Amino acid sequence: MKIDRRSFLSLGIGAGAGIALTPLPWKLADDSSIWTQMWPWTPVPARGEATYVNSACSLCPGSCGISVRKIDERAVKIEGMEGHPVNDGGVCPIGIAGLQLLYGQTRVKTPLKRVGKRGEGKWQKISWDEAISEVSSNLAELRKSGNPQSLACISGSGRYGTVSGLFQRFMTAFGSPNFMSVPSFVDGYSMALKQMHGIDSIPGFDFENSDFILSFGSGIIDGWGAPVRMFKANANMKGKIVQIEPRLSNTAAKADKWIPIKPGTEAALALGLAHVIIKKSLYNKDFISKHSFGFDDMTGTDGKKVKGFKSLVMEKYTPASVARITDTSAEMIEELAVSFAKASSPLAVCGRGKGTAQGSLDEYIAVHALNALLGRVNTKGGVWAVEQPNYISWPYPDMDKIAEKGFASARIDGAGTDEFPLAGQLAHRFVNAVADAGRKEIPVEALLIEGANPLHQFSDTKAVKKAFSKIKFIASFSSYMDDSAQFADIILPNHCYLERYEDIPAPAGLQKPVIGISRPVVAPKYNTLHSGDAIIRIAKALGDKIESSFSWDSYEACLQATFREAWSKLDSVGFLINQKYGAPGWDQFETESKLFEFISSADGAKTGRDKDEIVNIADIEGKGDKKYNLTLISYDSIRLASGSVGNTPFMIKAVADTILKENDIFVEINPKTAKDAGVKEGAKAVLTTPKGSANVRVHLFEGIVPGVIAMPRGLGHTGDDKYLSGKGVNVHDLIGPVEDPASGLDAAWGIRAKLAKA
Amino acid sequence: MKKEHKHVKSNKKYGMVIDLDKCTGCGACMVSCMAENNVPFKADESNKLDSITWMRVYKLTNDKPYPDTEICYLPRPCQHCEGQHEGHSPCVSVCPATATDYSMETGIVSQIYTRCFGCRYCMAACPYHARYFNWWDPVWPEGMEESLNPDVSVRMRGIVEKCSFCFHRYQRAMEKAHFEDRHELEENEYQTACTQACPSGAITFGDLNNESHAVYKLKKNPNAFRLLERLGTNPKIYYVSSREWVRLAGDNYRPDEKMTAKHKPAKHAPAKQH
Amino acid sequence: MDSALIPKGVKRCSIGQFALFMGFFGAIALWGVYAMLLCWLKGLNQTNMNDYYGFALWIWADLAVIALGGGAFFSGFLKYIVGKDELKNIINYAVLIGFICYSSALLILAIDIGQPLRGWFIFWHANVHSMLTEVAFCLSCYFGVLTIEYIPLILENRQADKVPFFHKLSHNMHENMAIFAATGAFLSFFHQGSLGGVSGVLFGRPFGYREGLFIWPWTFFLYTWSAAAYGPCFTVLVTKITEKVTGKKLVKDNVIELLLKISGWMLFTYIIAKIIDTWYWASVTAPAAGFSLIDFYSNNPFYGIWILLLEIVIGGIVPALILITEKGRKNKFAMALAIILAVIGVCINRWVMVLQVMAVPVMTFDSWVMYFPSWQEIATTILPVAYGVLLIGISYRYLPIFPQEIELNPIEEDTVADKDAEGDVVVGENLVEATEEG
Repeated sequence: MKIDRRSFLSLGIGAGAGIALTPLPWKLADDSSIWTQMWPWTPVPARGEATYVNSACSLCPGSCGISVRKIDERAVKIEGMEGHPVNDGGVCPIGIAGLQLLYGQTRVKTPLKRVGKRGEGKWQKISWDEAISEVSSNLAELRKSGNPQSLACISGSGRYGTVSGLFQRFMTAFGSPNFMSVPSFVDGYSMALKQMHGIDSIPGFDFENSDFILSFGSGIIDGWGAPVRMFKANANMKGKIVQIEPRLSNTAAKADKWIPIKPGTEAALALGLAHVIIKKSLYNKDFISKHSFGFDDMTGTDGKKVKGFKSLVMEKYTPASVARITDTSAEMIEELAVSFAKASSPLAVCGRGKGTAQGSLDEYIAVHALNALLGRVNTKGGVWAVEQPNYISWPYPDMDKIAEKGFASARIDGAGTDEFPLAGQLAHRFVNAVADAGRKEIPVEALLIEGANPLHQFSDTKAVKKAFSKIKFIASFSSYMDDSAQFADIILPNHCYLERYEDIPAPAGLQKPVIGISRPVVAPKYNTLHSGDAIIRIAKALGDKIESSFSWDSYEACLQATFREAWSKLDSVGFLINQKYGAPGWDQFETESKLFEFISSADGAKTGRDKDEIVNIADIEGKGDKKYNLTLISYDSIRLASGSVGNTPFMIKAVADTILKENDIFVEINPKTAKDAGVKEGAKAVLTTPKGSANVRVHLFEGIVPGVIAMPRGLGHTGDDKYLSGKGVNVHDLIGPVEDPASGLDAAWGIRAKLAKA
Repeated sequence: MKKEHKHVKSNKKYGMVIDLDKCTGCGACMVSCMAENNVPFKADESNKLDSITWMRVYKLTNDKPYPDTEICYLPRPCQHCEGQHEGHSPCVSVCPATATDYSMETGIVSQIYTRCFGCRYCMAACPYHARYFNWWDPVWPEGMEESLNPDVSVRMRGIVEKCSFCFHRYQRAMEKAHFEDRHELEENEYQTACTQACPSGAITFGDLNNESHAVYKLKKNPNAFRLLERLGTNPKIYYVSSREWVRLAGDNYRPDEKMTAKHKPAKHAPAKQH
Repeated sequence: MDSALIPKGVKRCSIGQFALFMGFFGAIALWGVYAMLLCWLKGLNQTNMNDYYGFALWIWADLAVIALGGGAFFSGFLKYIVGKDELKNIINYAVLIGFICYSSALLILAIDIGQPLRGWFIFWHANVHSMLTEVAFCLSCYFGVLTIEYIPLILENRQADKVPFFHKLSHNMHENMAIFAATGAFLSFFHQGSLGGVSGVLFGRPFGYREGLFIWPWTFFLYTWSAAAYGPCFTVLVTKITEKVTGKKLVKDNVIELLLKISGWMLFTYIIAKIIDTWYWASVTAPAAGFSLIDFYSNNPFYGIWILLLEIVIGGIVPALILITEKGRKNKFAMALAIILAVIGVCINRWVMVLQVMAVPVMTFDSWVMYFPSWQEIATTILPVAYGVLLIGISYRYLPIFPQEIELNPIEEDTVADKDAEGDVVVGENLVEATEEG
């Protein structure tokens, strides 16, 4: 058949028309739309039976109860646990996003041994047996050489709980006193309580019953204490909240009044308020006369006259002078003092931001004294010295000679020595001692890091890194490939917090003793091991008397044995609380005088205090150096996780574009400061402090004291995943510790700095 | 209170009252919403112009210089506008493919992901920027898809998504109710993820038409206002603030009418003096 | 080589020159196609659009080309319905330009949607209340009409015309063109209007929102009107450019002047209506939503009051005044200025009604957001321009688009033959013969 043009055309047209009339094109169109609705690479979550598992969140010291929704064996949503004494159904963003840690990209999936250079990220997968024997053989060397004290441990797990308890026990049995927890404002406050109340205790704040909160920079709704409890207390607050802070934080913004103040002068303001209260005779006479010591002048046993709190305050802290120190006004001080004193249950709180810095002892003493002046200690709606959790009653570990000798040696950080008798731990001193040590006298040869991320959390990260590089052997127990795990020699990954049992006592700032329990929501996803089990196995591998101090078969056995008959209740209810626990009262002082002591009745030298000074606060670094014309402070945001874990993808999504833009961090400055520095909104700049410099962008913010630069804490991670790593700057790179002369605590709240156009 | 309430069937109007005095800007609502609704995330989310946040918390300032500066946080879910006549919300009326719909039963503005073909007309129509486009393929890194909620379908690239008032929770509650031979829900049976998460209790959710629901009373607070009411969008999110400058920030006012704004309560001083 | 395809009695450039011309614009078009494929395969993240700019450059381009393509329906309306017979000398070109504009608009829409494979949902799940649905239906139908109007032109090609069926078909289609022109005018009235309605109905966007008649906002009528007014200006502009490029006069002045005179009066009345609309919007509609006019034109780095003046005065009043006066129309410079300004004016109008609507913050705590298109957006927007040039090039070369061309450019047959003979004319003729035999 001859196909000519015409027949070809008609054939074509005919075929076209024919096909159009068949179902084919319609079917194809339909198929295409169905295909676009179910792209093979778009996940389809599997359906299944929905259940809830109660557990506790250990991502911050708040220790909220959580209720996790599961679909079959998948955890799909974290919600707050109804009826929990800390958070009663509420939950914070960090907690909600916790599943992104469980299922996230940062999990360490199996024990890892470093093969490349430190921090290079080259790892070899090893078995748990290999990992345990690797650690134990390294540690055994230290004991063999008679230097068990050169083992140190940094623990970030809840203090007073069994996990940190086991690590501490291990250190003791091993023969090293160098056990440290991650610094917190509780360190400083407990020290003040020890000095003024005479007991080892933790501060509890009865916000719910107070009608006037005077906060000296505490981020009441920025993550201080147990954040969700604080959010609730703030929302239900019937009275007033006054926030004293150099920056208009969220807490300041929500407060009834924001008092901007020159950073670092909070203690002076507290004493200025005390001055007015004393002058106007507004203090609690009953408490002062019957339950306190050191208010009035007294004569010492040596016959010398000793000035009391009253004289010291009246002499030095007149409103006018305090106004000068703090950059406020005398009228404001008078007014505030009167309204505070006249409130029916006022409460002063301190511990800056989230309370993750130790702070200076004198500041706690000044604020606590202000509370005491009004009789607001150990009373309803006031601040309480809450007993430390003491449910762990394991027999004291058996120690051999090596252990006894090592354990008796002085702590590397000097805590508990004559120099710093009250200090429990001084992490920055530990860091400096190692970093500054000569090659042959490095005091630490091995380090265990558990539940902490010191390379990000500790101040002056450069020094931390320097110290760590001098330590021969670092073992990390982290669940995640964080900044510190990256720098370890071996990683013994813990189960994720949603995969394990762990008791979580003493939620921060809570006035009632509560013990929460983290329960496995899902089965461990990877080849991980509970750090409790890991340390038990290491102890057993070391043999000797160390092994006999760890007689438990497993961590879970240890946990159940610890709680004995209370275990089943704890496991089923999710928490233990002493409902009867109330305000300790004014007869609970264990000082030498059995009274509340404004001025220590004990030997002044013992506390390292100069009696003529109430507040003796160290200057921040760089002061007096003319080239640093500004002050850098760090600030906290509840949208930035700044503890041992950083922000998850959801959390980083919730970070404002005035904090992070691509990888650039913003620092907040007053438009006035910006004008002087010649920078505009969003401009790139170089921020330099005595500790280092960083590239930043500036965000102009009217809510900050001129001359102050504020940088958020929690960014600048080097480990972790692409959602967090490399974003922003870690403020701890720029701020170094400053030693509090009275206590040895790291009293740094900022550093001098300069800002230049990039 | 009467025990029997007059429930006119299919006359529910779900809405929220958000107490801005209580809101602390913590972002729990945002994160809870993301986790509940399988919202995707990408390596860089700092450009808020292409970052999907069904619930977004705005930071408002009174523009006063130091030290009189004030800030206020304002959570903005989809406003589920009713429009001037039922269902004539800015977005529903413009969608060419009926991919977004106004439910007469619940007052919820829905989004049918599988029908949307991504013309984005609804986004152009929405003055609240409550609608988000999937510019990228949503990617859950290996393992992370395990936390996906099966009640909410995962969206695909090239379509618009937005807050649904956690409609799947409504369906779940209704299923349960039907199973128990009930036709009405208790107030607490259907709550959105953001409401549930808010640690300050700033968000109250319920049926605005139901006298027994908390929102019914709360919306009548003299300090209550809605965003951009003057446009006639008739939104179902009410905000409450004791601060006048915040209430004034809810809508646009010409310079000549600022002083006579209807939200100006007699008790409060003008914004300037704050 | 291709002389057999070239209409009789006209002179065309050499095939080499033509190939160079086509190659240049073909390369640009290919660049656009590459960008288009990127958008389809990788998604709209290839653009600089974002959640604040759901509508951006492409929607502007859509609105602009449809307004500019308005010359087709309006001149058809004038010729076939009103009976301005002289316009038959430009109607072919108007139809071609219209065809290009509308096919481009449809192409851009196909790139612009996030799920192109589901694009047909607009017909299948149509929401009759949506302006965009109306646009989609009328646009597609009118594109069909334009195709029908364009087909007889193609069939008039020298070789096609030799096929008796094509010859008759084209003849019959010409006979009935009035019906199609009427249909086209009707459809255009609606889709031009509904395009105007696209931003006019956005009551959430005070910059775009207009009150109106029943369901139609004033922009509905203004858009139809402006398309009728500005479209012919664009037809004339393209004609003039074509004349410049080819170096030939293609349409007689009286035809152009007639079209421009009508266009001028349309412009004049339109701009009055536009001013009234703007005044009413600025003094009643927007203030009711709490906005003063200046709110839309201040506190941002780009949109000042200048853009309003540029649109209304420079791009409206000035060309209208030039075109309604005979002196203006007859003065070559003034006329050229008028049609250029007019084209700018309508493009600005469509720009502000898309882009500025998106840029203006509505919530008080929101801020102006600026936008600059990505190269992919620019390339895909230039693609229709290149495609238009290519189609015009082919159509001009092979189809008798301009009925007056022969009369205006008389040539001696042999010079043409001579010129062609320099090339490979022999092979070409053989080829033509071969195909004819086949």
